Amino acid sequence: MTVEQDFEAVDQFPVGMRVLAVDDDQTCLRILETLLHRCQYHVTTTDSAQTALELLRENKNKFDLVISDVDMPDMDGFKLLELVGLEMDLPVIMLSAHSDPKYVMKGVKHGACDYLLKPVRIEELKNIWQHVVRKSKFKKMKSIVINDDHSQGNSDQNGVKANRKRKDQFEEVEEEDEERGNENDDPTAQKKPRVLWTRELHNKFLAAVDHLGVEKAQPKKILELMNVDKLTRENVASHLQKFRSALKKITNEANQQANMAAIDSHFMQMSALKGLGGFHNQRQIPLGSGQFHGGAATMRHYPLGRLNSFGGVFPHVSSSLPRNHNDGGYVLQGMPIPPLDDLNNKAFPSFTSQQSSLMVAPNNQLVLQGHQQSSYPSLNPGLSPHFEINKRLDDWSNALLSTNIPQSGVHSKPDALEWNHFCNSDAAQAGFIDPLQMKQQPANNLGPMTDAQLLRSSNPIEGLFVGQQKLENGSMPSNAGSLDDIVNSMTPKEQSQAELFEGDLGFGWHNSSLRTCI
Amino acid sequence: MDAHVAQLQMQYRNYILSLYQQGFLDDQFTELKSLQDDGSPDFVAEVLSLFFDDCVKLVGNMARALDQIGTVDFCQVGANVHQLKGSSSSVGAKRVKGLCINFKELCEAKNYEGCVRCLQQVDIEYKTLKAKLQDMFNLEKQIVQAGGIVPQVDIN
Repeated sequence: MTVEQDFEAVDQFPVGMRVLAVDDDQTCLRILETLLHRCQYHVTTTDSAQTALELLRENKNKFDLVISDVDMPDMDGFKLLELVGLEMDLPVIMLSAHSDPKYVMKGVKHGACDYLLKPVRIEELKNIWQHVVRKSKFKKMKSIVINDDHSQGNSDQNGVKANRKRKDQFEEVEEEDEERGNENDDPTAQKKPRVLWTRELHNKFLAAVDHLGVEKAQPKKILELMNVDKLTRENVASHLQKFRSALKKITNEANQQANMAAIDSHFMQMSALKGLGGFHNQRQIPLGSGQFHGGAATMRHYPLGRLNSFGGVFPHVSSSLPRNHNDGGYVLQGMPIPPLDDLNNKAFPSFTSQQSSLMVAPNNQLVLQGHQQSSYPSLNPGLSPHFEINKRLDDWSNALLSTNIPQSGVHSKPDALEWNHFCNSDAAQAGFIDPLQMKQQPANNLGPMTDAQLLRSSNPIEGLFVGQQKLENGSMPSNAGSLDDIVNSMTPKEQSQAELFEGDLGFGWHNSSLRTCI
Repeated sequence: MDAHVAQLQMQYRNYILSLYQQGFLDDQFTELKSLQDDGSPDFVAEVLSLFFDDCVKLVGNMARALDQIGTVDFCQVGANVHQLKGSSSSVGAKRVKGLCINFKELCEAKNYEGCVRCLQQVDIEYKTLKAKLQDMFNLEKQIVQAGGIVPQVDIN
């Protein structure tokens, strides 16, 4: 056998290969044990993942390979897989009665060398030794390369990474590998300058991600699309990771929120229209609907800029609001949307003037004067992607940045009292609108920027908005509250937010953001 | 050759074949049998005994879970079904495995009535199989006691 040539140390390999078999099902374990014996391996069995870990930790050189079931009561097989890979760097083979590809994928992602389906056949087990060979070969190779620059301690880790690199096709794992590999493998030990994700850069990132689809986006492709000098795949990869986890977090939060019925239905309609571009020419969407339902709560978490994005989404806005702002026919009656400029800054630049017109207090007061953002191009079909990007961006940037933003003194407390107060009185609305306007003005064309806005849109004008974030955050609660109230009174639509959120809607995030408010 | 032994062996062969034909057993059982050798002469009996113990345990778990009317944890039931599916497929208990596949879907659909019915079927099925295999082992014993060798039955 050629294997034996490579393995000078172990003459009889794979005979006598030491396998640790883990399965809580005693029937399967017994069969597996016998099968492995039949292959002439040396077998140790245990029905508990914990025991397996202990055995391995006791002496990691005691075993060559681990075979583990996926569904175990005391510990998830994938978790065991990860731990073994990390701590002991042994090849692990997964075993399961689940033939669903997603489990197989999960196994691969977690670093499994192989994934076998029950019932296991002896033919399959006869070949598992190849994983041991492969792994140790990689270790050898890596250690040769790395030894020049690093201490021996890294080699195993690198071997794992190399192994994983080969096996894992999915970007998440790739990213992790790359990042780790990046840190460890740089032979010159030169620290790469930290990449500052400016708005511009982030916009490009968002555009690329949106183009590829959040789920499918891969750092490599994103990098290509972004076409930025000196940006590495690793930079993109880690950025993407953060983006995704922020998205996830937001999704989870959103799912826990109260029913955003109105919004949902609203967005259902919206989602039917592919691309925002279609929106402005089409139907009236009763903005009063749930969009802002729970907006208050959302506001607390996410900059109002989100709401502004809504504005961009509303077809009626475009249709009823010609480019000249401050027009009276606003569907969004009584929907004060303070930072209209945000809209401007968003992906829907064309809405700028329209957005401002969206700000209508209940008694037809204009909440905000339109802000002309001359730099904004006219509405284009590309809005939809931007919308999604914005949404994600919002979520993400919120997650990433909001903690840094000190609340402004004015509306810094997003407490129920405040917004209730606002909701209940027109005066209050006008009142809070005012600060918004005030806030906006000094902010120039950019207005108070929400965290999300900071990172959103492709408006190059937007520079560093850190300072503005404060405003945004500060004002949000009050705005949210009143908006929420207005929305509630405006539209009765009832539909599960979850639907919308989970659908492929660019507006989904609105739901979630709004939900969190409640 | 002892006619009695030959007769027993014939009986044994037919019995095994019928078990396969009626769908009680499948190829995996054949595999199990092939793993039995002089080194582990009772391998099949051991494994099957473990399997039936598992059945009792899992069916008990599922019955308890389904008993919680109104708050049935279908995930829990599903997990048990999954395990039963794994072990039944490993021993070649074809009918039990087939039931598990249906059962799983019923759990996912949270179909209470369906689950209860399916569980009953699983219960009947594994007990039937147990009885049949018991008969098979008895035949083997008789053959050996009569001085003969248990024949290898070629399913194909």
